[in-house]
Order: sequence, then C-alpha cells, then structure tokens
Amino acid sequence: MDMKISEIKMSTEEVGKWGMVIDQDLCTGCQACVAACAMENNLSFVGEEDAGYGRSMHWIRIERFWEGEYPEVKMTPNQPMMCQQCGSAPCEPVCPAFATVHSNAESLNLQVYNRCVGTRYCANNCPYQVRSFNWRDYERPEPLPNQLNPDVTVRRRGVMEKCTFCIQRIHKAQDKAKSEGREVMDGEFTTACAQACPASAITFGRTDQPESLVSHLMHQGHGVKHLEDLGTLPNVTYFKGG
Amino acid sequence: MSEQFSRRDFLKLAGLGAATTAILTGCGPASRYVKREPYQEMPEYNSVGQSTYYATTCRECAAGCGLVVRTYQGRALKTEGNANHPLNLGKTCARGQATLHGLYNPDRVREPSNGDWDAAIQVVADALKNNKPDEIAFLMGMTPDHLFDLVTDMADAAGMNAPVRYGALGLFEARATLSKAAETLFGQAGLPFFDVGGAQVVLSFGANFLETWLSPVSYTRGFTGLREAKTKMRGKLIQFEARMSATGGKADEWVPLRPGTEALVALAIGRLAAEIRGGSMPRAFSSVDPLDVAEKSGVKLEALEHIAEMVAHSTGVLAIPGGAALGQSNGQAVAEAVLALNAFADNLGKPGGVYLSALAPNQSDYSRPASAREMQEFVEKMASGAFKVLFVHGVNPVFELPASLGFKEALGNVGQVISFATFPDETAAEADFVFPDHHGLESWGYQRVATGTALPVLSGAQPVVSPYYNTRATADVLIAAAQLAGGKFADALPYKDEVEFLQAKVSTLMNEADGSFSALDAATFMAYFQQHGGWWKNSDARLAPASSILNSNIDATEAEFAGEGDFFLVPFVSPTLAEAGANKPWLQELPDPTTTVMWNTWIEINPETADVLGLHNDDMVKVSSEAGELEAYVYLYPAIRPDTIAIPFGQGHTAYGRYAENRGANPADLFGVHFNEAGDLAFAGMKVKVEKVREAKSGVGLARLESRMGVYGEALGEEH
Repeated sequence: MDMKISEIKMSTEEVGKWGMVIDQDLCTGCQACVAACAMENNLSFVGEEDAGYGRSMHWIRIERFWEGEYPEVKMTPNQPMMCQQCGSAPCEPVCPAFATVHSNAESLNLQVYNRCVGTRYCANNCPYQVRSFNWRDYERPEPLPNQLNPDVTVRRRGVMEKCTFCIQRIHKAQDKAKSEGREVMDGEFTTACAQACPASAITFGRTDQPESLVSHLMHQGHGVKHLEDLGTLPNVTYFKGG
Repeated sequence: MSEQFSRRDFLKLAGLGAATTAILTGCGPASRYVKREPYQEMPEYNSVGQSTYYATTCRECAAGCGLVVRTYQGRALKTEGNANHPLNLGKTCARGQATLHGLYNPDRVREPSNGDWDAAIQVVADALKNNKPDEIAFLMGMTPDHLFDLVTDMADAAGMNAPVRYGALGLFEARATLSKAAETLFGQAGLPFFDVGGAQVVLSFGANFLETWLSPVSYTRGFTGLREAKTKMRGKLIQFEARMSATGGKADEWVPLRPGTEALVALAIGRLAAEIRGGSMPRAFSSVDPLDVAEKSGVKLEALEHIAEMVAHSTGVLAIPGGAALGQSNGQAVAEAVLALNAFADNLGKPGGVYLSALAPNQSDYSRPASAREMQEFVEKMASGAFKVLFVHGVNPVFELPASLGFKEALGNVGQVISFATFPDETAAEADFVFPDHHGLESWGYQRVATGTALPVLSGAQPVVSPYYNTRATADVLIAAAQLAGGKFADALPYKDEVEFLQAKVSTLMNEADGSFSALDAATFMAYFQQHGGWWKNSDARLAPASSILNSNIDATEAEFAGEGDFFLVPFVSPTLAEAGANKPWLQELPDPTTTVMWNTWIEINPETADVLGLHNDDMVKVSSEAGELEAYVYLYPAIRPDTIAIPFGQGHTAYGRYAENRGANPADLFGVHFNEAGDLAFAGMKVKVEKVREAKSGVGLARLESRMGVYGEALGEEH
C-alpha cells in the first residue's frame, strides 16, 4: 500500500496548531465542501446500495434538522460536521493498534492507515459519527484514478478513515515556510472545504497565533463546541445561525 | 510562440515562478497541449512534487466562473476557484468541483462514430455544401460562447439559420420572462442583477439563488453579505414558495403561499406597505384587495401586514422573482408585481437594489437562450422536414426539453443529425453521427459572464490537460469542414484553427481602455488572457435606468393550472445535479441539501397528506399529469404545502453513461405544452394525480444520508 511518510510523521519541529470556525448562519448546505473534500482526499464513492446502508465515505456532511410542524416548520441552520479534531478524543484510547493517535504538536487526531486493522472501535466511540469505514474496495473505473491526489493515500478495504484537516496541505505549507525560514502565515493555505465554500462559512487557520482570523473568531464569545460536556475538547467552533 | 520558446522560458519572461500559486499561461498553437506522460518521463516544465496550475472557465453551467486547475504530471487533480476572477472570487460550487468526474468519466465518447476524423470532417463539409443554407440548423447549449460566435459568423456569412441556444436551466429560470420583465422595468432587455449583498430585507418569490439560479456562486456570496453584520445590521431573507427549497431553508421567514398567487401576494404587500407609508397609492398596487389575497394565497392577513411593515420601514428592501414563480401562465404579471416592489422600495440602481447586468466586453446586445415557445417553433420546423441537417452541440434536448414538445419524434424528419456530444447522451443516441468534442477542461474558448458581477467579464478557457481520447474541438472540425466546403463557408472562417479564431476575437479587446491588463501585441495579450483566466473591465458597468412601473397597471390575477389532479406540482432543479450532473458519480453521491437523498429521484409529499393517502416513506407512487406520468419513491417532506408535491429535475436518463442511466425519473415528462406571455413554459402550472403503486419493502428505497443519523428514529442512532 502506498503510504506517504509525511502524512504519519509526528513532528515536533513543525509549528502550528490548527482549528476551524464554522458560521452556520452563512452555510447554505450547497455541498460544495463535500464535493471539494471528496476530490481533494481521494474519497471513494460507494454507489446507491451501499449509500443506502449508511456506508458512504463522506468526511464532511451537512446536517439539517426539522423544527416544528407545517406551516410553522423550520429547517435548523445547516451544520457541517466533520472530525472535530478533539483535544481529548474518545476514538484514540480504544484503538488496539495505535492507528488513531494524537499529535499534540499540531492538535490533530491522526489516522495511520497502515496500522489500522479495522476493528471499528474508534467509529463506535466517536460521538460525532464522523468516521467512515471502507467496507469494500470500491470500484473506481479507468480513467477515474487519474484524478487521484498523489499527496493523499488511497485507502483500501478494512481501513477506517476520517477528516484530516487536509494534513497534506498543512505539511506542504509547513515545508514551504521552513525552506523560506519563516512560520506558516495566516491565510497562506486553507483546507479544501474552506477554499471551495461559496458562502465563506468555513474559516481555517492557526489557533496558536492570537492574531489569526480563526483565533479572532473563536474568541468572539458566541461560538459553541459540539458535545463539549463529554470533555472532548473539540477544535472546531460553531456559530449558531439565526 | 515558437517551438524553441518553451513554457519554462515563457514563465521566466512573465516573471512567474513555479510556486504553488502561479497560474501558467496557454501558449500558441505550436505548443497547444500539455502532454500526459508516464510518471517516469516527465515533461520538462514539471519538476518532481510540483504542481502546475492553469486558469480556465467552468462549463458545468453557463454562469462562467473562473477556475484554477491543479495539474500534476499532465493530469488534472483538483479544480479551485480563480481568486482573481470577478464573478466567483476563488469559490466554486459542488458541480465545479466535480467537473473532473466529467473529464475522467469512464463513459465518454472516445472517437468519431465513423472512426476517423478526416471522414468526419468530410461528412460535415458535405452537410454544409450539399444542403441549402436555410436547410442547415444548429442547436447549441448555453456554453461555450466562442463556439456560438463561430457558428454565428458562419451562419451570417452563408445565410444559414442563426444558431439556436437552449438549456434546461434556462427553462427553469424562465429567462425569457425575466428579460421581458427587465424590458418592462428598464425599457431595455437584459438580465436583472439583484444586489443581495447590499440589501437589508430580501423578499424572494421562489428564487433558488443559493442553488442553481443564474449564477449561484456569486449569489451565495451576496447572501453572505446579507447575513454579515460588520458594517450594518444582519439582513433578513423572506422566501415565498409552496415547497421549501434549500434557499427557503435559509430564510428567516418561510411563507408557503398557494402556487399561482405570487403576483397577488407581491401586490398586496406593496399595497399594505404603501398604506403604512402614507401618501398617494401607486397605481400598480391600487387594484388589489389584501383581504381577498389572504384568502386566495393561504397567507394570513397578519402575516402580509407584518411583511408590509418591514417593507415600509426598512431601508434596503429587495424583491426577487424566481423561475418557478415566472414559469406560470401569469409569469409576466408576477415579474412585474415583484419588480414593482423594488420600484416602491426605491432601490433601482442603488446598492442593495436592482440593476441591469453589465454586458460582457465583446457583446453589443443581450442575447438569451431560446424560450420553450421558440423551441416549439424549432421542433415544428424539424418535424415539417424544413431542416435537412441538424448539428447539436453542448445540449441534450431529448432529455432537457419536455417530452411533450416532441423533439425526439421530430428528429426522425431531419435528414441528418450530427451530434458533437462529449458524453453518450440521449440525443447522441438518436444522431446519425457523433463527432465528440473535447471535455471543457481540454478545450479552448471563452464565456461571457451574463450576470453576477458589476464588471463586464469575458472569461477565458484553455486546456489544462491534453485530450484524453480521440476527440476533436468542434470549432476545429467546423473550421476544417468550412474550408473543405469552400465558398462562403471558407470565407466566413478564414482561420487555421480554433486558437487562431480565438486570438482574432479576443485581440479586438486590446484597444479597449480600463481593462484588467493590457499588452502591446496580440500574442502577449492572448497569453495574458489565458494566464489570468479572462479579461474584464475595472469599473462598474451595470445599468440603472429609471422606471415608471409603479404608474402602470399590473394584472392582479392568479395563474391557471393545467390538468385534472388534486395536487400542484412543483418541479425544481436538483441543487447538486442540475441538468447535466447525473453522470458524475460524486455528484450522485452528494446528499440533496434538503432531503439528503443520493442517487435517485424522490417525490416530496407533506406527511399529513401522505397519512390521508396511506403513503409512507419509500412507497412507490405514480404521478400523472395531462402530458405524461412517472414513478418514483415517496419522501415525506415536512416543509411542503399539503396540496402540493415536488419532484427534482436531474435524473431519469435513458442514456448518458453508467452513473446516470436508468436511475430515477424525469419530471419534464409531466410538463404539458402551455406558455406564458413571454413564451416560457408554464412548467409550474401543472396539477397532477398521485397513486400508490406498491408498498415500501425492506432493503428497497431511497438512499439517504440522514438515516445514518437517525433523525426520524427509523434507523441507526435512535438511542441518542
């Protein structure tokens, strides 16, 4: 299996802790982020039948719920949901193979595909239900594989996967900054979802830089973190809509 | 640019490094295409691990958003928005992202159907030469504009029929009505531009501007402007529609009016607001009785008054007429009534108001796609045998036109049908020859930005990868065939190839002032044009003439409905698939924003109605109208009127590749032939019957994302 070392190396040299702020008042639910994520991260499509069984491989999904009944019915503000990159992640301690490990340096949850043996304990323990499992080797007929991003491992059957905050982009920016003898600057790069979002509802950046946009937004006061009472310390902050 | 002059040299000259943010240029014909090489033999401009970025234009709809495509060793890996492009400022929609699944689609047409391009060009040349000019017809899609210009030049010179353009999105947006309304309002045809971003209160009459309407990426940016409370108060969106769209889901207030009463509601709000504000009553609102409107529309008088209060007291009120509101028998009146609200709010030509969109740099008159009535005339000509040869490019009329117009049957009376389809669509299946064009990402071209930005923009396209199959640019085929046919055809297209044609067209902009860049010679200008992804002017060119609409009489009538059934039919364009997305597997697997359904067609029914009819989720039902019928699964949708059902458009293909074929149903099969005054189809003016075909079975039904989350307590996750 093709594995990029840079994706799994836990480096203490690279600076930067990463976080995300999502404004649900702006999110239109258009699915541009979902498509962008699929294209960037080599996600498999699973087809109608498996999708019907809940086996689709979305790393990000947009939740909407209904409130009230017709005619006073309301759609709750769209809620993009992806791996919250918890500071204290329930998925991590249950992995017998150390495939779900924590990077304190970058405040990310890593998923080491070639360690994963497919117990699915992590998905079972994730309160956000954001992990997806490769139930099969999903078909990607020629010439579709030409589109695969060479910076991202292609996963196969029996492996768990999830949002990585586009770690390949983080590392690329870090490498570039290092070669130029500086730190990664705010706004120098962003994740695929944030880049595509036509409503600019997603902001990504360094949370260890107090002057970064994401830090400003995080500390505005009206942000919430999902299921915070579980003590997961998520790295994604939501602004509720409406 | 000569062959000795490599891309790398050019890069140095242009002062661009191979940094990740650089956008490379297209070069001259000598080095037209990037070669796709095996990884071990890389082209000289690629160094290991470095990506190459090309600016081009998205062709998934006609909006004309700028893209920057990341390529790596000759393969296109990822599309991103072009951050400098005035229309989309670096953003894309889901369809723009998935355009690569078109490029690398396993079911593309791989070679000309007669096997050989010389023979294909001979066929086209013979078709041009051996028929009288008025027996030759071109039917084209809403993209790309450069090919439309080329065919127009040829048609003008040779006396052929002017090419006709059509697209299903144009039908669902009721563009002819919108243009007619602009003419009524401003005295000039064109596409109105609604400055959502600058407004405070937006009244949207079914405009799905966050989904597929006109220029969704740009309108979504406007929506962000509406919501952001940096320099002003957070703006409000009020949506009037019988079925909650994804746009309606974002509204602060959703008003489920009875279909067909949009004009009445708009006028009643105008009247009530005018009463609150005092002074003389504008004539446009004088004939309407709000109490009567409340009864007819099902919107309570208090609700109308509450909205009128906002309209009367707020600054920055903006009213938008959407496609379904216009695609009714009284569409013209709806458009006038809604635009009159804007005149009342005094927002014409002001920030947060209505403008007439700027024309593109190389455009002298607004031109719109054909209305359904014009398409009917076209089909009648086909059926009468007036056309000996029909060329089809960029559109799939067998799927995109309502079946009741009889396009497929009329094809039988056309002597020869030549399709330039990239994908094996329904129309290509009926054609005598298929001479496939490249995919948009393998193509040269330009697209005029019709609306969505204040600036006049000509968006440029260039190949980002070399053609994958034995396809050929339709422009090149036509140029070669015209030379072969000789005479007027050859005179009309005196170009070596498509690139030379483009250069001739684009370089006319060189002498224009106020451009985004300038250059001293045509080759450099063209190179910059490719590098920047187009050329645009730097100043606002939207028009804002005064209007006297408030002093005109507006017909305060309800729409008429065709058919016998009990239910109003709301057909809407799938926000993720639109008219041509069904063959892209990742678009199929995107959950619909409102229902989260993937890979299929569903019928939205209010849960209470379903209860009365004994229907459950995933039951199969038959919907029949005066024109046709279809079968699809039931989806109990809590945000739709009990007297209304809704069906998305986008699926129901009988061809178009493995991911689209034999999947779902096409609501256009239900459309009868009724037009509004502007000639648009009254597609939202249908009444239909609903019958159960069979009960839901375990393991058969719609694939939805939400069952994963168990919001209805029907599946996983019930416990939390």
